[in-house]
Amino acid sequence: MADAAFAPTPPALEVRNLSGGYDDTLVLNGVTLAIGRGEILAVLGRNGMGKTTLLRTILGFLPPRAGSVFLFGREATGQAPDALVRSGIAYAPQEKAIFQDLSVRDNLRLAATSDHAFRDALPRIFELFPLFEHRLVQKAGTLSGGEQKMLMVARALMVRPRLLLIDEISEGLQPSVIAQIAAVLRSERDAGTAVLLIEQNVAFALAIANRWAVLKRGAIDDQGTIADETASRIAEHFAM
Amino acid sequence: MSLLLDVVTTAGVLFAVAMGLLVVFGVLKIINFAHGALLTLGAYAALVTTKLGISAWLAWPLAFVSGGALGLVVERLIVRPLYARPLDAILATWGLGIVISQVITLCFGREVQFARSPLSGTIAILGDTYSVYRLALLGVSMALGLLFAALIEGTRLGLSARAVIMNEDLARGLGIDTRRVRLLTFMIGCGLAALAGALITPLSSVDPNMGVPWLINAFMLVMVAGASFLSLALASLILGGAQVIVSTFVSPILGGMTIVLLAAVVLRLRPAGFGRD
Amino acid sequence: MTEAEAAISAASRASPRNWRLAGCLVGGALVVAAGPFILDTYSVNILIRGFLYALVALTVDILWGYTGILTFGQAAYFGIGAYATALIFTHVGFEPATILLAVGLALGVPALAGLVVGWLSFYPGSTPLYASVISLAFPIVVTQVIFSGGTFSGSSSGLVGYEAFDLSIEAWFWIVGAALLLAAGAAYAFVKSEMALLLVAIRDNEMRCAYLGIDAPRVKILLTAALATVAGFAGFGYANFSGVVAPEIAGFVFGTELVIYVALGGRGTLLGPLIGTVVIDAASSYLSGDLPYVWQLIVGLVFIVVIVALPNGLTPLLGRLWHAISGQHDRQRRAAPVLESQSMKAAPTTATLEIFGVSKSFGSLKVLEDITLSIVDGELVSLVGPNGAGKTTLMRCISDGRERSSGTVRVNGEDIGGLPPNRVVRLGLGRKFQTAGVFESLTVAECLRIAGTLRDKPSPRRPLHVLRLPEAARAVVETTGLVDSLLRQARLLSHGQKQALELAMVLALEPKIVLLDEPTAGLTNLERRQIGGILRELASRHRLAVILVEHDLDFVREISSRVVVLHQGRIVLDGAVEAVVGSKLIRDIYAGSGHG
Repeated sequence: MADAAFAPTPPALEVRNLSGGYDDTLVLNGVTLAIGRGEILAVLGRNGMGKTTLLRTILGFLPPRAGSVFLFGREATGQAPDALVRSGIAYAPQEKAIFQDLSVRDNLRLAATSDHAFRDALPRIFELFPLFEHRLVQKAGTLSGGEQKMLMVARALMVRPRLLLIDEISEGLQPSVIAQIAAVLRSERDAGTAVLLIEQNVAFALAIANRWAVLKRGAIDDQGTIADETASRIAEHFAM
Repeated sequence: MSLLLDVVTTAGVLFAVAMGLLVVFGVLKIINFAHGALLTLGAYAALVTTKLGISAWLAWPLAFVSGGALGLVVERLIVRPLYARPLDAILATWGLGIVISQVITLCFGREVQFARSPLSGTIAILGDTYSVYRLALLGVSMALGLLFAALIEGTRLGLSARAVIMNEDLARGLGIDTRRVRLLTFMIGCGLAALAGALITPLSSVDPNMGVPWLINAFMLVMVAGASFLSLALASLILGGAQVIVSTFVSPILGGMTIVLLAAVVLRLRPAGFGRD
Repeated sequence: MTEAEAAISAASRASPRNWRLAGCLVGGALVVAAGPFILDTYSVNILIRGFLYALVALTVDILWGYTGILTFGQAAYFGIGAYATALIFTHVGFEPATILLAVGLALGVPALAGLVVGWLSFYPGSTPLYASVISLAFPIVVTQVIFSGGTFSGSSSGLVGYEAFDLSIEAWFWIVGAALLLAAGAAYAFVKSEMALLLVAIRDNEMRCAYLGIDAPRVKILLTAALATVAGFAGFGYANFSGVVAPEIAGFVFGTELVIYVALGGRGTLLGPLIGTVVIDAASSYLSGDLPYVWQLIVGLVFIVVIVALPNGLTPLLGRLWHAISGQHDRQRRAAPVLESQSMKAAPTTATLEIFGVSKSFGSLKVLEDITLSIVDGELVSLVGPNGAGKTTLMRCISDGRERSSGTVRVNGEDIGGLPPNRVVRLGLGRKFQTAGVFESLTVAECLRIAGTLRDKPSPRRPLHVLRLPEAARAVVETTGLVDSLLRQARLLSHGQKQALELAMVLALEPKIVLLDEPTAGLTNLERRQIGGILRELASRHRLAVILVEHDLDFVREISSRVVVLHQGRIVLDGAVEAVVGSKLIRDIYAGSGHG
């Protein structure tokens, strides 16, 4: 598979030498990566290595200390998160990031750009996640953990994003739910969406990704495409 | 029987006055201490309609619009820079309140004046005669409450506002322009404050410092109510009712501090107030 | 007094700052002495009143500028003092006995009220907003009580015509002026003392104070009562001087005016509020006709600008000008405090942490289930596990008796029951947080001094001269190089230095058990090695029980004696490092295939 950086169209996401963190802590130390359209990049690494910080810095929740972020070829470094999201990016954060007190319907509706677009997008959502068709009025907080995560993915797909940023979605989920989400992500990828998948669950990540990278202490330690010896090579990074 | 009517109409008035403050506190998480001065602004808008000889009903939209316009300016210049400093936001809006009061004094003078009421007279109800306007005011408050409840549940702006109230960071991550939501909410809150001022002028009179006692009571009600209109209505009824009862049976002066005292005690015992945890 | 202290006091007596202070006081005394001769009677009258208000403004500054408590209520204590005096003189009479009674009430009633208001405002979990709400409600209640007093209290017209001290206007000016100078001097000494550092520490990071054993609410309540007494005393003076008391002096409008004076003068500077109050109050009195409203308008506008753009007020601008002209900078001349070792514990004692069946649920969500664990001195235990496994929750359950849903925790043999953190710490436990919890506005030395509060009460008179630390804390300070940065403000430290400072602070109380939450987060390689060495020493040499939550598994393998693995709220592995390392279970848990 060709390296995304040399693709004729600009990559969906390109991060060059990005450094940043919180207050005085430097968590990211010169991260460089790129994701092309229609591919899934899995960023792996243990906790505390900077994975969530990377996402939040790309999205503008945290100001970068150095380096730059390009989205579809245009500079997006440090722009406001809501503006970036409106330009075609969807973000599924790590914590239970749905509005517990709002209904399933309202949670989905918030992600849409207008009520009209909301109604248009619903059939597709029901196709991907049939369980929501009859649960629209249910309060989101009463869904099970797995259903809440599926809601997060459904919500992220409301606006047909060109780039999906997903932070540790598989955590705490049953294998059947993970399989369902994996199928959805694969079909999105096949339709041309780029996906940045942050994961600790190596098995899940390797099952759907095209390429992988390991983040260690704020920088990319190792990366490559999915092949036979990949699994054991990655496992070494996680051994004690 | 007139006691019961006093209780519910007072609750209605308190609710109308506190609505604007609640809206701002819920979404922006700050207390707009200029609320009392905005109330006064709206009251003087009503006075203006009286002086110009136009219909007193026009006072209401006039007040709402002036409040909203002022809110636009205030949010950009004063509230937005103090987003991360809520205690300083209280102080800055208090300073704004002083400025507004002094401008009003310079324009209109210090004396007490009277604005014409759109409705006058009394009506026989439940065996007593009671002020028509007070009853109408109760109806208006309930209508306003229902209108805003519908807005918040039904419209996209309302939904966005609820999202911002619950978790602003998450709302931004969904692409909601939270700055715009905060601006619009503040404008509406100021408009409501001014409208309430126009609504209450026929009950007594108009003077540049009339807003202060209302501010304090509204403030305590909002602290106790949390972020929902329903709990505000409940708080208005219970605390307002207590005020009426104490004023009638003990002394009007002690009645004046009933709301403040009860609210402080409620908050100490149950920091969430009447709202849900 | 040790030799070191003696040397330092001798040196500091001659320091330039003390000369400046002396200069200010002398200058102030001259102004007060000369005043009645230069100014007309009207001005003298205004200024006397202004001086009394300035006295109250000083109390507002200490509460707001230094301790971070925004209060609108100081006026109420002033009013209570004034009314107590006027009521006694009106209804009982003016004789030596009643004068003493009036003084007693003018000081005692505000003090009592301060205790009540403080108790209402400051309790674990109260917010600054709530405290401000109460401080707003209090003057309203007081004025309403005055109104309801009818002819007894003079109602809305107030009390007038009672017999009081009959002094000449010059005498009043000198007495009140001198009182103000004395109060300002005392306030100045207080804000330079160690006790004031405690107030700033509470303002900066109340949670850290709790975990240093400090009962912050109690400190705030006592401070409120003490300053209420001062305001009451000013009220006594006011009642005597002006001969009339009206409800407005106890009202919240006056209370907010005081806050405005302090803000404009410069919060946290003492001198700023003093000058600000006198100047603005005098200016307000001079204007007549239409001008009062324009003047109020201007004050309001300037106030808004100051709050939004110049939170430090106007006086510091002048201060910077002064520094620019005189070319001096105080901090560099200051001698660093002397570092001394001092241990409070007589002989090394054993440490034990026993946890039986601890569970924690949030509603139906079980975060921790039946955790049973025992740790003794000399052990270095690492708590590992994926995100959401419950590690930090367990830390909280150990250090805060109110957290757990069930089970028992015994620290050094004592059951922590439902004790809040500041009491658990006293049993011999210290906790270091992941985000370094230091006091940003204080220097390194000051942070360390406050950390030892429980052992060594901060002096309300003396500034920080000598820093006494137990051996373990001192070792950390010296090994990490913090000893060279004692005068540096904590906010300017690097992340690694802040972590080291916080560790030293935690060790200042000589805990036998130390909990550390991700101590290597954000550290450089060198810093990580340093802290690893320090932690190993704490366990082996100082015989502490060290427990850390860590994600860096290499670090864990290097320094731990024992590893406990948490997964989905339960302990799944607990054993020596060699046994746990390389186990398939660990790899499975972290690599994700162990998901159920």
